[in-house]
Amino acid sequence: MKVLQIRSVSIRYVVGKKEVRAVEDVSFDVQERDVVGLVGESGSGKTTLAHGIMRLLPPNAYFKNGEILLLGKNIVKMKENEVRKYRWKDYSIVFQKSMNALSPVHRVGEQMKEALLIHQPNLSDEQMMKRIRETLDLVRLPSRVIRLYPHELSGGMMQRVMIALALINNPKFVIFDEATTALDVVTQGQILDEIKKLVKDLSLTAMVITHDIGVVSEICNKVAVMYAGRLMEFGPLDKVVYEPLHPYTKALLKSHPDFLEPGEKMMGIPGNLPDLTLPMKGCAFAPRCPYAEKICFSETPKPVEVGERVVACFKVKEVERT
Amino acid sequence: MNILEVKNLKKYFPLRKFGKKHYVRAVDGVSFTVEEKEIIGILGESGCGKSTLGLLISRLELETEGEIKFRDQKISETLRLPKDIRRRIQIILQNPYDSFDPRLTVGDSLFIPLKINQIGDSDDDRRNMILEYMEKSGLTPSKDLYRRYPHELSGGQLQRLSILRAMLLKPDFLVADECVSMLDVSVRADVINLLMDLVQSLDTSMMFITHDISLGRYVSDRILVMYLGKIVEMAPADVIMENPLHPYTRILISYSPTLIKKKTRIPIKGEVQTLLSEPKGCRFAPRCPYAQDVCYQTEPNLVEISSNHFVACHIVEKEAGS
Repeated sequence: MKVLQIRSVSIRYVVGKKEVRAVEDVSFDVQERDVVGLVGESGSGKTTLAHGIMRLLPPNAYFKNGEILLLGKNIVKMKENEVRKYRWKDYSIVFQKSMNALSPVHRVGEQMKEALLIHQPNLSDEQMMKRIRETLDLVRLPSRVIRLYPHELSGGMMQRVMIALALINNPKFVIFDEATTALDVVTQGQILDEIKKLVKDLSLTAMVITHDIGVVSEICNKVAVMYAGRLMEFGPLDKVVYEPLHPYTKALLKSHPDFLEPGEKMMGIPGNLPDLTLPMKGCAFAPRCPYAEKICFSETPKPVEVGERVVACFKVKEVERT
Repeated sequence: MNILEVKNLKKYFPLRKFGKKHYVRAVDGVSFTVEEKEIIGILGESGCGKSTLGLLISRLELETEGEIKFRDQKISETLRLPKDIRRRIQIILQNPYDSFDPRLTVGDSLFIPLKINQIGDSDDDRRNMILEYMEKSGLTPSKDLYRRYPHELSGGQLQRLSILRAMLLKPDFLVADECVSMLDVSVRADVINLLMDLVQSLDTSMMFITHDISLGRYVSDRILVMYLGKIVEMAPADVIMENPLHPYTRILISYSPTLIKKKTRIPIKGEVQTLLSEPKGCRFAPRCPYAQDVCYQTEPNLVEISSNHFVACHIVEKEAGS
């Protein structure tokens, strides 16, 4: 079953007289129980896409076109008060900066209670406390956390509270937006393990947004690589990370020290992100791509299927051989 | 020949809590040496004291106790050092937007240190020197960038400039404190390569502070792992990665997200704590899965287990001895 279908979605920000093409014609499907890693550098549009799916875009952003079917409903066309019925009940998101996402003046318990009350107003106090304790238990937090304020928690605990908050209404689909980025190595590893276990135990479908390919290879089974708002490559983890086809994916992996032969040097990607306020002709990566030819600058490559994955590149055949 | 000799270095930060005076033992009795041209990586989680150690060595922070010798000359006890020694020890900080004066053009920010240290024969000479280095490190068009202000440049460009700012002074010792952790992966590789090229061509010794294990290994000759202000393990980079002995190092490596092989995680309790009271025994004991009675009683010393491989752990020591 397809939990999420993204169909040629474009999202733009209006900034003064300019329009920033943050997400441009992105399409991919997320199957039930998939954990999809959305990878890209800053400015690649991965967070915009996630916030678009959650309908949490700021007022100056709008859907240019496309549709997003989440659990069978097209959320692009939905009215805000209808979105509110489903958001946080059927799908939720874990934000990057838990310090900013939690209210500093309310106890953790109160914040969790509110999330429950909005969607299940008939619950008794007892039932609510039971559910809160259960959810905290899921993320391995002691129930004393209920009475604490966010500032009394460590970074890892706060992030766990955020995850608990996202899971409190038993959602089917959860987005983890850089959920472990600000954490220390050991804490990050622990939380990744917990996410992995939760996804399995609760049959969650999830999307993990990160710039760290290491994180993706730890918990995802599929990877979507984005660059300058466009989807470059999408497919199973083993294929995309270990046998990358798109020149951008290749270059991205070459800049990670884990993949080097002894004595080999890390390689950056020369050049800069294109200006997203200008209409783009051709492939977004062409100006930085070592394989680029004339056609790459004049036409936009359509995503083509190569085995189990989708790659948006004219030169796939040649890249494959190298 | 040692360029740097650190003996029993301590830095306590006073902290008032509930009216009582406490000390945060950021660096608590650290001793090591750095050889000429050596690159030593300092690895640890936040709060382990690695940045404080960097500040102490670059003489931006005064130690509480201990001795630092730079080429057999004592540089500890005071921050009033001869200009020449100041020039010889340079530091690159994490966030370049904070380490450049927003009201100076980046060119001026690079020019002033050269002028102060009378490097170059004339102002024109200095300016040409800066422009030449900017060209060499891919900061083109250099004349245009020279006149820009920090906010007009990208993080990658600015971090390259801060590397140049330090390296133009031809220092003998460079402290690089998380110098690429703010940057995107594709930019990170080039900045690291620039740093390594300059450090190697000028025969500079470097202290590379990072929390990224793969990067630490890629850059460093030798790695020093810190936990709560203490060195727990110190060995050549490849040795520590292939054969980590201290439980903390092993846990750290097992939890770091990586692309290569799946490792089995070593279970660990709790999170990094801030030490306020005088600790008894090994600082890692409360979280260590192998801790025995002795670990809570006496503090382990840093012992050379095999050639050039130092570990501070009772259990490792016992096993090696038997």
